[in-house]
Amino acid sequence: MEPQTESEVVARENHSDINTVSSPAREERRKKPRTWETPPAPVPPPRLDEYRSIVGAADIDELKFLAQALKGKTVKMVNSTAVGGGVAEMLNQLVPLLNEVEVKTDWEVITGGNDFFEVTKAFHNALQGSDYKLTQQARDIFLMHNRKNRQRMQFSEDVVVIHDPQPAALIQDSEKSPRRWVWRCHIDLSNPNPEVWGFLRPFVEQYDAAIFSSQSFTRQLQIPQYLFYPCIDPLSEKNKNLDDTFVQQVCDEFGIDRSRPIVTQVSRFDRAKDPVGVIQAFKQARKYVDCQLVMAGGGASDDPEGAAVLKEVKEAAGEDPNIIILDLPPWCALEINALQRASTLIVQKSIKEGFGLTVTEALWKGKPTIAGAVGGIPNQIIHKLTGVLVHSVEGCAYQIRYLLTHPDFAKQLGQNGHEHVKENFLMTTNVRRWLLLIKILLAGGSK
Amino acid sequence: MSSAVAPNLPHTSVKPFYFNTSAHLLRITQQKANTLAEFLDALRECPEGSIFQHSFQTLEEHHFIREGFSNDFAHWVLSACNEPSLAEGLASVDVREFTSVAELRERFVQIVENFLSRTSAAATRSARETFYFCASDSIVIPTTFVARTLREFAEGLRSVSVHSIHHHFIEARLRIKLMSNDFSQWLLEDIGLTEAARQLNRIDIYTGTLEDVRNQIVRIVERALI
Repeated sequence: MEPQTESEVVARENHSDINTVSSPAREERRKKPRTWETPPAPVPPPRLDEYRSIVGAADIDELKFLAQALKGKTVKMVNSTAVGGGVAEMLNQLVPLLNEVEVKTDWEVITGGNDFFEVTKAFHNALQGSDYKLTQQARDIFLMHNRKNRQRMQFSEDVVVIHDPQPAALIQDSEKSPRRWVWRCHIDLSNPNPEVWGFLRPFVEQYDAAIFSSQSFTRQLQIPQYLFYPCIDPLSEKNKNLDDTFVQQVCDEFGIDRSRPIVTQVSRFDRAKDPVGVIQAFKQARKYVDCQLVMAGGGASDDPEGAAVLKEVKEAAGEDPNIIILDLPPWCALEINALQRASTLIVQKSIKEGFGLTVTEALWKGKPTIAGAVGGIPNQIIHKLTGVLVHSVEGCAYQIRYLLTHPDFAKQLGQNGHEHVKENFLMTTNVRRWLLLIKILLAGGSK
Repeated sequence: MSSAVAPNLPHTSVKPFYFNTSAHLLRITQQKANTLAEFLDALRECPEGSIFQHSFQTLEEHHFIREGFSNDFAHWVLSACNEPSLAEGLASVDVREFTSVAELRERFVQIVENFLSRTSAAATRSARETFYFCASDSIVIPTTFVARTLREFAEGLRSVSVHSIHHHFIEARLRIKLMSNDFSQWLLEDIGLTEAARQLNRIDIYTGTLEDVRNQIVRIVERALI
């Protein structure tokens, strides 16, 4: 297969001289993996028809039919950032697809000073369980910036979708009927700081509907709550099919031996992902089965806590030549994709997790996956059917051994996992959910 | 109805079969359960849409699993409550034996009640994970496939999505209130193929994927074409 994108060409050029690497050279290379130093140019979002070969023509035709009835309807998406973060990434893909099916969708970003974003960052953490003392000053800053944005923006669309807590108070004093207001909450509200949630809840309950990413992230509300799983784009750099030559080149670059089983965890260096626990599990498993461990992550260069965790991970790994630790910049999507595809098993042994999109990525690639039963992971991994759930280092070690020695069962898990993602966690499913919700809301189906 | 069968053309109906499909949006309801006692209460009180979601609809969402998955209730009872005998009882409920959600709910309630009457200590034991009752908001969507002949019918069966197969073959009984499905009804009433209609109703939906079910349906229809 020919390289498909400019960045893939760059990657191939960078990797072109290392098709065969001897063992000592491989170990040497590990110490200083080469990755390009600046992000590649952004890739334009795919068009709907490009998904036909992945999800099937019938599914795309269904989407188009659903959209026909909504032709000319208008939607506004509002969030707090245009770049960086999962919400902006998702909107960058969703908005063009909705416009393509003639549901005219605008995307606006709220503005605010440092004071506002400091308050909203604190709210964000507090809503996910951190300690926080809500002051009158914080309330005033939050409300003032929401009011200023409300005065600046116009809400003439049929459906207004507000993403996350930062702009949640835009609904206050806005004209509601006949348009419908939806609050899309991307964070876990299962254990919120009561003061902050008590402050935000009256705004949330003015909406016509709320959307959460997992059943377990919700609160009891007086408005209808819908479940929209986060999704991945199967055509993105992170998830598209790769030529095996490229996968081999990436493995050579990082000193990974594809002739032996590869166990991989992809996640930033964060204690919530239990990277040290993964190394302990791997060391226990390796007493019985030959394998290598790849710990591929990032966040150590710009985050002091990440650097501390990386240090702990390196200490835990010691001098074990079978453990390969990669601290990658955030734009290495193609390399991450290649590492996942090269892996025999993927581990995501989180002890706290959001939805866990790295699990979705692993399942999409048909990889047998072992993951902690936290956050949104149980939505993706049905134990022993689409992967395996673990609750301890020992459980993780056992499952690594078991899956490496039962390849038929592991293969079946991988196949089921792939189908599960195809059915529930792809961008096209997300478009279908939005079209359905808009249709239901405009037909007066909620509240 | 057999009177609708075209008299001169073999396997041609004057009443075409329109392939539809349905799309579902998941709503999170107020009910949840952390113990089997709470589960039983919620089973009794939840909206009918929740019973539909966790039995009929979940089969569609997990259509790719060949064995070991029947409904969300059985799965939770096994994985979160570690009660295999209750899980087996719940898993044995075949949605095709019910033409109304109310009857189906009654069956699930009866199984849990019987279990708890024998094993009362299990009622208040905490489950490892909460069961959240969801419900579906559904919309029926037409497809581009229409069959006027048996050959076109087979072609439609091969081409539509598995969601359409689920809509006509599994969900249909709640709509037509018969222990049958849309495909069998059309074969029986509009084409006059009694045996093929009967064979379709004997396909086991719990021991294969929905794609396997589609293939079995296609094979039966193709045999009728010969």
